[in-house]
Amino acid sequence: MNTYEQELFRDKQLGFFIYLGVEAVMFLTLFTTYLIYTPSSEGPQPADIFSITTLVLSSVFLLSSSGTIMISEQGLHTKNHKKIITWLFITFLFALVFLGFEITEFVGFVNDGYGVSASSFLSSYYALVGLHAAHVLFGCGWMLVLFIQLSGIKIPFPLFIEKFKIFTYYWHFVDIVWIFIILLVYVKYLV
Amino acid sequence: MKRIGFIIMLTGISLLAGCSQITVLDPKSDTGKDQAYLIWLSLAIMFLVLIVVFILFTWFVIKYRYTEKRKYEIPVDVIGDKRLEFTYTIIPIILLIILAIPTARITFEQSPGTEAFQDAEGVEVNVTGKQFQWDFEYENGEEDTNKLVLPEGEPAIFHLKSEDVVHSFWIPELAGKVDLYPHETLTYRIENPEKGEYEGKCAEFCGAQHANMTFDVEVVSEDEYEDYLDDL
Amino acid sequence: MEMFENLADAPSDVIAAWIFTAIAGILVIIWVLKKRKLPVIWEYMRTTNHRKIGTMYILFGFIFFLRAGIDSLFIRMQLISPNNDFWVFQADKYNEVFTTHGTMMIFFAAMPMLLGLMNVAMPLQIGARDLAFPYLNAVGFWLFLSGAIVFNIAFFLNSAPAIGWTGYAPLSNSLFTPDANTDFYVFGVQISGLGTIFTALNLMVTVIRHRAPGMSFMRMPLFSWATLVTSFMILLAFTVLAIGLYLLMFDRLFDTKFFQGPDGDPVFWQHLFWIFGHPEVYILAIPAFGIFSDVISTFASKRIFGYASMVISIILIAFLSFTVWAHHMLVVGLGPMLNTFFAFTTMTIAVPTGIKIFNWLFTLRGGLIRFTTPMLFALGFIPSFVMGGVTGVMLSVSAADFQFHDSHFLVAHFHYVILASTILGIFSAIYYYYPKITGLKLNETLGKWHFWLFLIGFHVTFFPMHITGLNGMPRRTFTYDAGEGFTTTNFISTIGAFLMGISILFMFWNLVKTHWENKKVGPDPWDGRTLEWTVDSPSPENTFEPMPVVDDLNPLAKAKNENRKMETTNEHRSSPIARDSIIPFLISMTLGVFGICMTYEWYIAAFVVGAVVFAFFILRALTDEKNDYYGKDEGGAS
Repeated sequence: MNTYEQELFRDKQLGFFIYLGVEAVMFLTLFTTYLIYTPSSEGPQPADIFSITTLVLSSVFLLSSSGTIMISEQGLHTKNHKKIITWLFITFLFALVFLGFEITEFVGFVNDGYGVSASSFLSSYYALVGLHAAHVLFGCGWMLVLFIQLSGIKIPFPLFIEKFKIFTYYWHFVDIVWIFIILLVYVKYLV
Repeated sequence: MKRIGFIIMLTGISLLAGCSQITVLDPKSDTGKDQAYLIWLSLAIMFLVLIVVFILFTWFVIKYRYTEKRKYEIPVDVIGDKRLEFTYTIIPIILLIILAIPTARITFEQSPGTEAFQDAEGVEVNVTGKQFQWDFEYENGEEDTNKLVLPEGEPAIFHLKSEDVVHSFWIPELAGKVDLYPHETLTYRIENPEKGEYEGKCAEFCGAQHANMTFDVEVVSEDEYEDYLDDL
Repeated sequence: MEMFENLADAPSDVIAAWIFTAIAGILVIIWVLKKRKLPVIWEYMRTTNHRKIGTMYILFGFIFFLRAGIDSLFIRMQLISPNNDFWVFQADKYNEVFTTHGTMMIFFAAMPMLLGLMNVAMPLQIGARDLAFPYLNAVGFWLFLSGAIVFNIAFFLNSAPAIGWTGYAPLSNSLFTPDANTDFYVFGVQISGLGTIFTALNLMVTVIRHRAPGMSFMRMPLFSWATLVTSFMILLAFTVLAIGLYLLMFDRLFDTKFFQGPDGDPVFWQHLFWIFGHPEVYILAIPAFGIFSDVISTFASKRIFGYASMVISIILIAFLSFTVWAHHMLVVGLGPMLNTFFAFTTMTIAVPTGIKIFNWLFTLRGGLIRFTTPMLFALGFIPSFVMGGVTGVMLSVSAADFQFHDSHFLVAHFHYVILASTILGIFSAIYYYYPKITGLKLNETLGKWHFWLFLIGFHVTFFPMHITGLNGMPRRTFTYDAGEGFTTTNFISTIGAFLMGISILFMFWNLVKTHWENKKVGPDPWDGRTLEWTVDSPSPENTFEPMPVVDDLNPLAKAKNENRKMETTNEHRSSPIARDSIIPFLISMTLGVFGICMTYEWYIAAFVVGAVVFAFFILRALTDEKNDYYGKDEGGAS
């Protein structure tokens, strides 16, 4: 990036950090909601329905995807397209596996009769964890767009760097939220 | 300048005189009187502030207005004045502290809540609000709708709950209001109500007929109160 | 279709509105075609320029202001006498009118007009060539308009919400308001709120990163400071509101148990709403404070007194405003500890606000006060706002608030503060910046008529309302009895409301007359003191060519006093990249359609429309305007 691009990138970086601040406030509010409503007086208790296995497996994939995206990012400095693509693709796959676990978990709950309207605890659980899952899904779509931008329509490389970096901030943020979900949504009520 | 001050004084006095006719400022219970005291106190302190601002404002606007004579003047830029700014930071703080102390005292005495007035003695009434009527259940288990009767002089303790949406229980002549919720019961107390007939109303918007969700209040002598309960 | 079901038994006011809108629409179309304005409309639909977007913000905000204003006249007509039956405005019709009045005034009139003024003036004040993200700016504006349209459609379908602008649960839950009405509120406010968040983010980055050389934070005009602080507050407050509405939407559409059911907590909605709602009051007031600071300084021909303490005060007010929300909930039964705590935090806000008031007064001292229309509005603000401020302190006295709460005393109080600050501020700024927006100066005589009628009408309406409230009249009631002591004061209030209405007619006449005469003015019609008065009127698309160097809080005044031109430079940071695009318009309107699909629970349609929104997203990502500007110098530090 030259100075011209650097300055515009800094604008976008600051803008996006502020946006992530907005997201953080959003999740903070939802965490508060969850903690207020859990456990509920009716319906199942968290410990009755959460499964440690699913939690551990899904976490492994999502959290390690933060690492794979960093390896992909290293490819930016050397302009190594193959490295970028490969590791971005692995990140993408990990995200899909994570979503698979999430969806299986949700479907399992709903089949047991524990849908959004079953209790205040479940309502706030879906509102929070569901919104996070939606963020992962959005990230998957974003990665697809990055693929196209790198190898499809070929935008200028400095612009690709900008867009890729912004995505990594997003992806790390989604991971950090997940860590809080592990601690406050699951572990707090499992231990 | 003097004339403007005089006019302000005059309107102030006439306003205050008029105020004694106003419902909330002339309450018929000890609870309401404490509240009215706070209103008067805050009004007095705030009137002071208001007068200072009005006088400075009128003075500056008149004195420093544009005139043909001053046409070519270039006003001196003043950055600020630390001492002056400090003064109008400190004086409001002092005024607010004067106001805050009785506020805290009366708020602690009067605040409604789920755990408020547990040990308080008095006439207990269960109040239930629903779209768009009031039910009052007395100590003997009897109920009346849209009519509340209280004995004079005794503290009235209300346990309030809603059956549907949020309502608010308000008898302006007696005392301030308290909300009714579907998920919890709140308790509120009105001390020493005076004899008379008053109007109670719903003060929290609750739907189509919110405006007509009113009830009659009668504060009567101890004997009349017993008679009323027996007749229910 | 269920959408039009309610129209079958539409009351006469809805029918009248259809007829009026149809006629007005036809007239506008004829005018557009006759004057060949279509290219201009097409240009504005695609623009990303800050002045043009700001103009649209103000224009549409003003249209919604008129609508919400007419609603208030209906309210006042219904309340003019005891047991009155004015037209159709009783029971739920009345409730719809005050809900619409409140929601529209806050979200679709005051907010957009302020954001529009920030869009127009802030970049010019700090020497920025545009907002940091011109494209996002267009998205923010169109999202606001889309949300506003969604909300307005409700009335035309005879499905206006009737839950108050505060939307208290459980009345806003589907159990008590099962129809689409409340969903229009949820989606309309949600969509426009999203746009507000984007615009705030944009304004914030612009102030932080796009100031002209030499424009340090402590040389920034106070309106720009206000923009920065307000944006920060919007980001926090509107996000909490977004989540509140998100939860309410779940409760209504998917029967979740946030505000209903055995564990549901209606008070939680109030917390979320007021954590947004109280800062919102200051989000409306602080920009107005900024406007008044600049206007008073200009027309007193003097720099603002105590600039540093002005800046500190707005930061303090912003911070404190997030610590006082439960003073809206003193009768909720939070208990004596919390009641007292929130009473005290509320009182502390009076201190920084007081500092500002006295600083304005001492700016006047020693000045050369020119009574122009913008200055009159600013001068009218000071005593009026202080009256609202003192009742604010009275309301903070928690035990006294048991009496004030939700009575007309409260209605008087918040109209005093919001009208005196926000509305007078907007009027002041419209007169002040009209040359920068259009190149024309509004007529001063008509402006003064507008000012005096509005100010008198405002006091005549709201002063008696204090007494109505103290006599025991609750807010949001459509009728009262003759014996309750509300009759005289209500009658006076109604007269005042019509005075305000008439004053708006004068403003209208003024606008028409000014454009009819079409007399252009130069860059500096007010003898201004800051950067915006160095650029042409109206401000061109390429401003600050060359870039000025700022050496003072009032750099232009300083240069004038020293009889020289302002210094300029060619060394400055890269400007934001702008390219016209229709996609922001399309994204936003599609999202509005999505909102309507969700309102009527047409989930398949909603899914398809939602997919279209994302398709526009991708289209935008692939046709980024930066494509043409990046990678020109590969030898750079990449």
